[in-house]
Amino acid sequence: MKKLTFLRSADRNVKASICLMGLGQLMYGQIGKGLAYLVVFACGILYFLKRGASDLAGFFTLGTKEADAWFGIEGDNSVIMLLMGILSLAAVLLFIGCYFSNIKDAYETQLLVQKGGKPLSFREDLKKLLDRKFYKTALFLPIIGVFVFNILPIIFMIAVAFTNYGGSIVPPKLIDWVGLDNFLQIVTLKKFAPTFGRILSWNLLWAVSSTLLNYFAGLGLALLLNKKCVKGKIIWRAFPVLAYAVPGFIILLGFRFMFSYGGPINQIITDLGYKAVGFLDIDAKWMARLIGLLINAWLSIPSIMLLTTGILANIDGNQMEAAKIDGAKRWKQFTKIILPFVLFSTTPVLISQFIGNFNNFGVFFFLRGGLYLDGYFLASDTDLLINWLYNLSISNNYYNIGATISLVIFLITSALSLLVYVKSPSYKEEDVFR
Amino acid sequence: MKRILCLLLAALLSLGQLTACSIKKEEAETEKVSQATSASALTSIYNGELERNVTLRVLENDTAIEQGYFKELIAAFNEKYKDYGIVAVDANMDQRSNLADDGPYGYGPDVLYQANDSLMKYVDGKHIYPIPAENLECFSQIPKNAWAAYKSEVDGTSYYMGVPVNVQSSMLFYRKDMLPSDWETKWDDNKNKVPDMVENWNDLYQYSKTIVASGEGKYGYMRSLFDVYFSSGFLFSYGGYIFGDNNTNPEELGLSAGKAEVGADVLQKLAAVMNEECIDDSITVNAYSKLADGSYFATMTTPDVYTLFIKELVSEYEKQGMDREAAQTLAEENLVVTGVPMLPASGDLTEENPELIPFKAMGGINGYAISAYTKAPNASLAFVDFATSYEMLLKRNELLGIIPARADAAKEAGGVAEVVFNSLDKGNIVIMPSITEMVQVWAPAETFFTDLAKDAFRTTDKKYTSYDTLKSALKAVDQQIYDAIYTLSE
Repeated sequence: MKKLTFLRSADRNVKASICLMGLGQLMYGQIGKGLAYLVVFACGILYFLKRGASDLAGFFTLGTKEADAWFGIEGDNSVIMLLMGILSLAAVLLFIGCYFSNIKDAYETQLLVQKGGKPLSFREDLKKLLDRKFYKTALFLPIIGVFVFNILPIIFMIAVAFTNYGGSIVPPKLIDWVGLDNFLQIVTLKKFAPTFGRILSWNLLWAVSSTLLNYFAGLGLALLLNKKCVKGKIIWRAFPVLAYAVPGFIILLGFRFMFSYGGPINQIITDLGYKAVGFLDIDAKWMARLIGLLINAWLSIPSIMLLTTGILANIDGNQMEAAKIDGAKRWKQFTKIILPFVLFSTTPVLISQFIGNFNNFGVFFFLRGGLYLDGYFLASDTDLLINWLYNLSISNNYYNIGATISLVIFLITSALSLLVYVKSPSYKEEDVFR
Repeated sequence: MKRILCLLLAALLSLGQLTACSIKKEEAETEKVSQATSASALTSIYNGELERNVTLRVLENDTAIEQGYFKELIAAFNEKYKDYGIVAVDANMDQRSNLADDGPYGYGPDVLYQANDSLMKYVDGKHIYPIPAENLECFSQIPKNAWAAYKSEVDGTSYYMGVPVNVQSSMLFYRKDMLPSDWETKWDDNKNKVPDMVENWNDLYQYSKTIVASGEGKYGYMRSLFDVYFSSGFLFSYGGYIFGDNNTNPEELGLSAGKAEVGADVLQKLAAVMNEECIDDSITVNAYSKLADGSYFATMTTPDVYTLFIKELVSEYEKQGMDREAAQTLAEENLVVTGVPMLPASGDLTEENPELIPFKAMGGINGYAISAYTKAPNASLAFVDFATSYEMLLKRNELLGIIPARADAAKEAGGVAEVVFNSLDKGNIVIMPSITEMVQVWAPAETFFTDLAKDAFRTTDKKYTSYDTLKSALKAVDQQIYDAIYTLSE
């Protein structure tokens, strides 16, 4: 209805802009802007004639001619075509966006003229872009950057989940769209479903327990080091920071060696006359999981401690004093004042910790990677979904299945994060600590 | 507007899917026909005329570059072909660089030196050129089974895709000073002046037991069972294999074939005279120092790590107060590298005077291949021919200690080189499969060997108590590998 009104009220110049980008502006005497729109239009058309159209077609076909280096046949590269196809789709959207902005601009000029004003000159338009609409000018380049470096790979990964890319089908072989086949394979293949269920349940348990352990241990350490009676705080704080500073995978490889049969922990145990303990061997299901949990805590607690130390410094001393005068015990002070205050500030961190732990690839890859156990398909009992994804996509080259599992992981983590966030004080009690 | 855009994109996507398949199939058919009618690949690639004024980028092994061998090789080649203006240079990239990733975009080398399994993974996408092997000077000197590692069928024709240079396989490393003083009288039944414990596993097992029983915390033979490269040889020796049709048919898995379970049992018995360090792979890191400090009498590994053992032994002797030169001499004299001991045909390590069978070790062949993206295939072929000549392989052996794949060079080098080459020639080295499906073998097999090693130390809940249980476990491994290869492509 609004559109019909717009079309009825649009004047000759606006209709000209609908027919040809920039024409309306030229008819209003806005030569600079009109020409700029015309140049954009010409560039767009030239791009589509030169490669945009073929790139777009390539997105749908993913190649029609297979390369053969032996006979000098230069074929299509499906992966590149997929990527270029996504870019050309983006270019189409950008072009459509420009076209609409051209119509909108012409209509705004019409309204201005109808109110008795004069169409803006090119100089005034530029001034507007540097002043009132500066946010658009300033954000243009970052938005392009975010698209190329963040959004494009994500769209590419999502697209791969709908193809048969992987296994023996890698360039120069041509890749095809397979629709929802990969998703169906994950849930219907009898080898997949049980493994998926087992890993998912362990993954959830792991993510929840490791996040809670790291969070409360980090907070506990921060509270401890915040106490007035603790002497040499800087020195005590330095130790966790040192652990934090060493690259995680080096620490993990170190722990793997320490817990192995030839490592120092077992050496000490055997030297004391006891039997070596298979911390990380093939039968060590829960023991290995527990060790993973503790080592992950060793790696993550320092960052939580540093974060919460900063937040604790902002607690209102008067409030604490008042609570003490009112007779609140330490536990009450913690549960009623400190914890809500820290939770309010750190819920987003807690969520990112949860996602980080859910997708914690390193811990079990470095500690216990390379085992495929009974009852699991290409996985072991300590593997998380991300490790399984790695086994499938990198060790076995099934990029399409890897991309599909990534999407599933994304759906799970985003749903859980959203749920936690909506239920959190950061969201529900936004005004409380303001 | 948003809805219209979404609908438009969805419609385009569905249309694209429908049309794409038909176009693709049609054109792919045409392509096949055109290839079938083309002349053979070899004649289309090599015209026999050397390209002039070209630079060949050669991807070499890091050690060959570090030890100066590569510098000598390209200097000699460049001198020989200076009239043609052909210059070979270091491709200056990681030795494990992937041609399939770099080649199509013009970043790959012209000639590359890698292991057979790495090189052969480029065959599927035709990333490397076939080689007219029969025309090369080295052809008759390299055994057929080494060439077989590089043989592949493409478009219905068999081609050699690379040229073997270096043989990698297992060897037994032991300390001479840890032999019993009376070995010549008590441990040399066949009176061939070679200790029996390094000739057959029955004696090595007995000797290991004796060392362990002495209670000094020392061990005889020690090796991580986790490592498939070394452990699989025990299965191969009794009839096991990885893939069917000489490791070319991934539909047929054979780790449980023949009497492979006997080999697994031998391996488990050996694990019982080691300690639990044989379960995981930490021992691989410790082996050099443990052999050097006298904790282990012997271990099995590849000859390319010889220098690491020597380094540790030298440092141990230096700690005892020796000067560097004397320590070096003593280390080289004390550390002996020899072929892998023979196995009892019965699989019984306690049998006296057993009938012995050779140990069939897994091995690899490193070699040269020519990139399909080179602009100078004839000059590249000339480089490969030059680099695999008798003189160059002998020099390679001299500087890098590698075992030449050429019979004449191996014979001239003598010692370990000759032992390994003879093993290859007699078929006692099973070359690692060159097909891409090999990547699915490692993890399931590693898990089995880890479990097998662990079982030697389980007390009440042993899993592998008979040949039948071992056979079933090996069959499960075969099935697991098969599933890994085929489940997702079904």
